[in-house]
Amino acid sequence: MKYVLQRIGAMLLTLFMVMSLSFMVIRLMPMSLFENPEVPKEIQEKLEDKFHLNDPLPVQYFYFMEGIVTGLDFGISVKLRPGLDVWGIIVSRLPPTMLINFISLFISIPLGLIFGIIAALKRNTWIDSTISVFVILFISVPSFVFASLLQYVLTFVFPIFPTLYDSTATTLGAMMWSLTLPIIALSLSPIATLTRYLRGELIENISSDYILLARTKGLSRPQAIVRHAFRNSMMPITSTLVSLITGIMGGSLVVESMFAIPGTGGMLVKSIFAGDHFLTVAILIFYSAISLVTILVVDLSYSLIDPRVRVGGGK
Amino acid sequence: MMIDRNNLPEELLNLPDSAFESLHQEDIKDEKFQTKPVGFFKDAMIRLSHSKVSMLSVALIVLIILLAIIVPNITGYTYVEQNIELKNLPPKIPVLCDLGIADGGRVLEKRKVEALSDTSRYPEGCIIEIVKEYELKGVPMCDVKVDAYVYQGAPDDQYHWFGTDYLGRDLMTRLFQGTRISLLIAFFSVITNCIIGVVYGAIAGYYGGKVDLIMTHVAEILDGMPYTVVAILFMILFGAGMLSIVLALTITGWIGTSRMIRAQFYRYKGREYVLAARTLGVPDATLIFRHILPNCVGPLITRTMIAIPGAIFSESFLAFLGLGIKAPNPSIGVLLSNGQDVLLQYPYQVLFPAILISVLMIAFNLFSNGLRDALDPTKRGEE
Repeated sequence: MKYVLQRIGAMLLTLFMVMSLSFMVIRLMPMSLFENPEVPKEIQEKLEDKFHLNDPLPVQYFYFMEGIVTGLDFGISVKLRPGLDVWGIIVSRLPPTMLINFISLFISIPLGLIFGIIAALKRNTWIDSTISVFVILFISVPSFVFASLLQYVLTFVFPIFPTLYDSTATTLGAMMWSLTLPIIALSLSPIATLTRYLRGELIENISSDYILLARTKGLSRPQAIVRHAFRNSMMPITSTLVSLITGIMGGSLVVESMFAIPGTGGMLVKSIFAGDHFLTVAILIFYSAISLVTILVVDLSYSLIDPRVRVGGGK
Repeated sequence: MMIDRNNLPEELLNLPDSAFESLHQEDIKDEKFQTKPVGFFKDAMIRLSHSKVSMLSVALIVLIILLAIIVPNITGYTYVEQNIELKNLPPKIPVLCDLGIADGGRVLEKRKVEALSDTSRYPEGCIIEIVKEYELKGVPMCDVKVDAYVYQGAPDDQYHWFGTDYLGRDLMTRLFQGTRISLLIAFFSVITNCIIGVVYGAIAGYYGGKVDLIMTHVAEILDGMPYTVVAILFMILFGAGMLSIVLALTITGWIGTSRMIRAQFYRYKGREYVLAARTLGVPDATLIFRHILPNCVGPLITRTMIAIPGAIFSESFLAFLGLGIKAPNPSIGVLLSNGQDVLLQYPYQVLFPAILISVLMIAFNLFSNGLRDALDPTKRGEE
């Protein structure tokens, strides 16, 4: 229990730092939105009201934090959707982002595990080396390069998929069809990462004594590997999950805008280009919160699977 | 009977050599060491040089670095030189263009056939071939492939090997200038991370106790911040530019290194030789840097090499978000993201930077894999 509280405490501290940094971005930017003549009068008044600009900075800081903590009040959009509440914009943009992120994750995990097991089982054969080549390729080449390649080849040279996200799609099928390429582009690198890790872990475990025992007991090699070595390999794999998820989320920032998917990632890029800092900052805080929760969940499940990890766990 | 070694009888002391017989049955071949002793790093280098993949990747990296140094100086263009008349030219390479590859050709669609002979619109000699002829609303139309260089009025001897961008800047010059900048950013950020990580990890690991507890917690809290988020916030705060990218990549980038160094210090600081040095009065700083740190050099090198492709990736990622380096300076990421806007019209503007970044990333990844295997102490002496 103490361990859990400690972890949650650390997480809140981190979030606090991200928010402080965000406040700095909003208030200390050289060309601040508050004095920008391009911003309409009524919005400037709204801003002044909201951020208590007449109070000293620390008080403003307090109001900023209070707004976020008590009412998810991140301020209002200034340039992209002038006057609209930022949190409302994020919520309305969430579904497509969640969709492609989750699908990519749920495609990558089983595929990565399967390829990892195959590579370990067929170690040092042509199958293993083929998988290794693809692993290196997919780990090295950034997801946005793959996205470009897929977009050019499969929508322009061979027009199989629509070039951009089909926002007018009426059926789920048509919508998914237009999301196929971004999902593929996002999944390649996580699949490769997982494959590489699992292969390494499995190969290490295969040469251990308990596998020898399992084999002497009469299990076939695949049986021994899948039932015994695989389970022990899952532990270290859990910790790669965090980087996997944050990797997909990061990649989706870029890939979404490449395929014009109306998600939070595309919104972030647009808001950065437009200089709409409230929106940028809100999306970033939101992303941090998600990734922190992911880290927390993985950490806790880690300690659930392996009690040895519970460092501060009482007796 | 006891023999006192110091008081041996006279006749025993003066025995001739012939009185002795070697117990060894065969001749001893090398009485002195003929070969030099092979140290840890030499052994690692030997194994590295035996790995074909590693050597190939080293060759690729060196080649790209050389190209980045040389090419921007010899193309005859500068990376900022604009020529709006000659914008978006396709690649044209001498010799190859006579073979029909990279000939600077572009297909213009839906052109009136009768206008083709109009030399004010189609300068003489610009038409390479008529790809397709058809009729549209009763007017004979065609798709015609023209030499974009002649069509847009470039001099005969002008070649842009990788084409030009939307401002008519030579893309080859820009690409390799961009490679320079991307590599510099990568090296600087990785080295900074390395230094901060080593110092932080060394202090935490060496002193242990409360110091370690606090430092580890601070690092942990920092590490929780997703690096994308921190990098974006810092880039907005400090504005575009090489320095702010390096800074953005170092905010949380050093934590992995410091964690590794800390673990190594915990392993080595209790060893007898460290204890001996401490007993002799060696100060802490010397113990840290002279006696313990050299043990970490192997993993440190591996980590640093693995971080380089990561930094290159991060740089182009930030460029895609519009947070790259200041225009008109190019970087691989800036070129990729600019090219992405016109991907369907001018795919070559993405193609070359995409190939370059892929080759660079693959080479660095392969090399660091090879280096990791070579520096792995458990594999010492193999091969």
